[in-house]
Amino acid sequence: MRSIVYYVREFLRPEWLKKFFFAKTAPLVTPPYFKDYPSRTEKECTGCFSCMMICPAPEAIEVLRRKDRWEPAIYRGHCIRCGLCVEACPEDVLTSGRILDVTRHDGTALRSWYRLQVDDTLCMRCGNCCVSCPINKQVDPQLAGTGTSSSDEVIMRIEGGRVKILHEEKCTGCKTCEIHCPNRAIRVARMVEGVQGEEAEA
Amino acid sequence: MSILQEIKNAVRSRSIHVSYVDVGSCNGCDIEVLACLAPRYDIEQYGIYVHNNPREADVLLVIGSVTPQWVDKLRDIWDKIPEPKVAVAIGNCPISGCVYNRRGTLTEPPAENYIPIAAQVPGCPPRPTEILNAILSVAPLVFKDYEEKQR
Amino acid sequence: MKKTVDVSIPLGPVHPCWKEPVRLKCETAGERVLRVEVELGYMKKGIERIMRGRPWQEVMFLAERVCGICSVIHNMVFIEAMEKISDIAVPPRAAYLRVIVNELDRMASHILANFSYCYTIEHETLAMYLLNTRETVLDNLERITGSRINTAYMIPGGVRFDLLPEDAAAMLADLVKVEDEMKRHVRIFETGPLIALRSRGIGVMSREEAIEAHTVGPTARASGVPDSDLRLRHPTYRALGFEQITRTEGDNFARVMVRFQEVFQSIDLIRKCIETLPDGPIRGGGLCRAGEATYSGEAPRGELTYSIKTDEYGRVLDIAIRTPSIMNIEACAHSMIRDATSIADVTSTFISSDPCIACNER
Repeated sequence: MRSIVYYVREFLRPEWLKKFFFAKTAPLVTPPYFKDYPSRTEKECTGCFSCMMICPAPEAIEVLRRKDRWEPAIYRGHCIRCGLCVEACPEDVLTSGRILDVTRHDGTALRSWYRLQVDDTLCMRCGNCCVSCPINKQVDPQLAGTGTSSSDEVIMRIEGGRVKILHEEKCTGCKTCEIHCPNRAIRVARMVEGVQGEEAEA
Repeated sequence: MSILQEIKNAVRSRSIHVSYVDVGSCNGCDIEVLACLAPRYDIEQYGIYVHNNPREADVLLVIGSVTPQWVDKLRDIWDKIPEPKVAVAIGNCPISGCVYNRRGTLTEPPAENYIPIAAQVPGCPPRPTEILNAILSVAPLVFKDYEEKQR
Repeated sequence: MKKTVDVSIPLGPVHPCWKEPVRLKCETAGERVLRVEVELGYMKKGIERIMRGRPWQEVMFLAERVCGICSVIHNMVFIEAMEKISDIAVPPRAAYLRVIVNELDRMASHILANFSYCYTIEHETLAMYLLNTRETVLDNLERITGSRINTAYMIPGGVRFDLLPEDAAAMLADLVKVEDEMKRHVRIFETGPLIALRSRGIGVMSREEAIEAHTVGPTARASGVPDSDLRLRHPTYRALGFEQITRTEGDNFARVMVRFQEVFQSIDLIRKCIETLPDGPIRGGGLCRAGEATYSGEAPRGELTYSIKTDEYGRVLDIAIRTPSIMNIEACAHSMIRDATSIADVTSTFISSDPCIACNER
């Protein structure tokens, strides 16, 4: 009996009634350290594609040419908010949460480069890779449809009936050659290394 | 008639039953939906009740890229929900397939191919506040004046 | 005398108690459950097939998304397997930070498992208390890594972000709060008479059965299987003086209590880590190379093994993942649920073994 009276009194308190009928938790704020979708800073994008090449999700980020400048575009519904693009960007164009501050404080960076590998047993010497490569096109606009080139500065060319890789270090890892290869003979390896200290500065 | 409709609107806005179906996700979005139940977010103060029974649900949360087993079953579950109903895609998986939509995958996203999706909550996984906002914003739009819209 | 009719009761794939799709077929005689058959395969995404031919920075995220609840340990085991292949040394500070993040994730996972057990036996009050405590743990995880779930914290040769001193102080303060709350919750769980009716002596698995079924993790430890925690063999945990928790009852109560005790143990481990956190770099660098390795770690649900073969550029050629839940689910179906006295105990016993279907089928 006493407990019933207790409960009735408990439930008839004005604060309790107010809480019961009009309770709303305070609007919850997103903490500043949350890695949200990357957004632009004022820095100029140089179009190095580091962010695009390290992105683990398919079709999540693209660097687009808008009039006279490059601009990274993030696609919601594809982006998984991992923050690797923010860390990989050498120019600090993107920002997300506290990543930029913390990486600057730690002096960490991600170093990436690309390796090309041609499987001679699969290669048909069609020259698709040499023709499709955007860097090749920039270096030697006269690149022939068969993939031969007179320039020594191209990344790869058909030489003596096989693909010869001349300048691996120029590759930006876009994998256009891999897509255009009819039987997956050419493979681009994206190598990434996490570094800290003096190595990160270099 | 309109008074009845007003009452229905008022009742429906404070009583939203949510069912979620996992059609092949990584569990991340699952537990974020569960985290909405926590007193910190307290989904039930808005009259939203989360359980897992499609027969009495108003809102279906679709979680996950669609695996072959779910291709036909997802439609079955959608048909079991009584009208008015709405489906919300939670996370990247039902929108685009997230990281699973690659060469060699077994999944068949997006979920839009199988049932009509009213709202999408991108993120991998989305925060509980984002899920809460999505349910609260989409549910009144669909349920308000439902009978009048039918006519 | 009334004749009992044998009925096969399907539970799932969409069921109020299952968070993930799985189907149990229970053959019953009256209320007694004679036999249980587990039907899996609703979540097969083919992650191992997607992983082939990809470099570590992509496989890392796929490995995380094998299971969202215990994503940190998947990340950790994959990265440490790659380090074993390529002989990459981890700086001591990074090794300690890994332990901190891993233990926070383990706490979140264990509290979630106990939440779903309490929810299944319809003790919603305790379930909500536990879920609120879990939010505090996730806050700390978010403060270090920047996201609540699927954190992507570890990379070969180190970790991504350093632990700032003010974050460490905030984490210690939060841990005190979590410990106080958890003590109260454990007292509620231990002394509740209704909880005892639903938990004690139900779903008993003896030590012999546990060893025979190769159970792992808290399920095995609750049945008293010695030396079943792989953290005993991890060098950083050994340096921290880790000791395994074992109980002998082997029922639902013991399985939940083992997880509660491991939460306290994790709190102690994190405190010890922060106290003895060495200074120095958090990334050592190092490239992935060709090789083959098998590496195991202790996930919140038990032993997790990655067998990886890589080519000379560090791309994954072949990979096989062995997740803990598959043994526990089968052991649960064949030893714990068999001859259960009530259909209501099937769900609670199944949940008490902490099944993770997404892990299982990948």
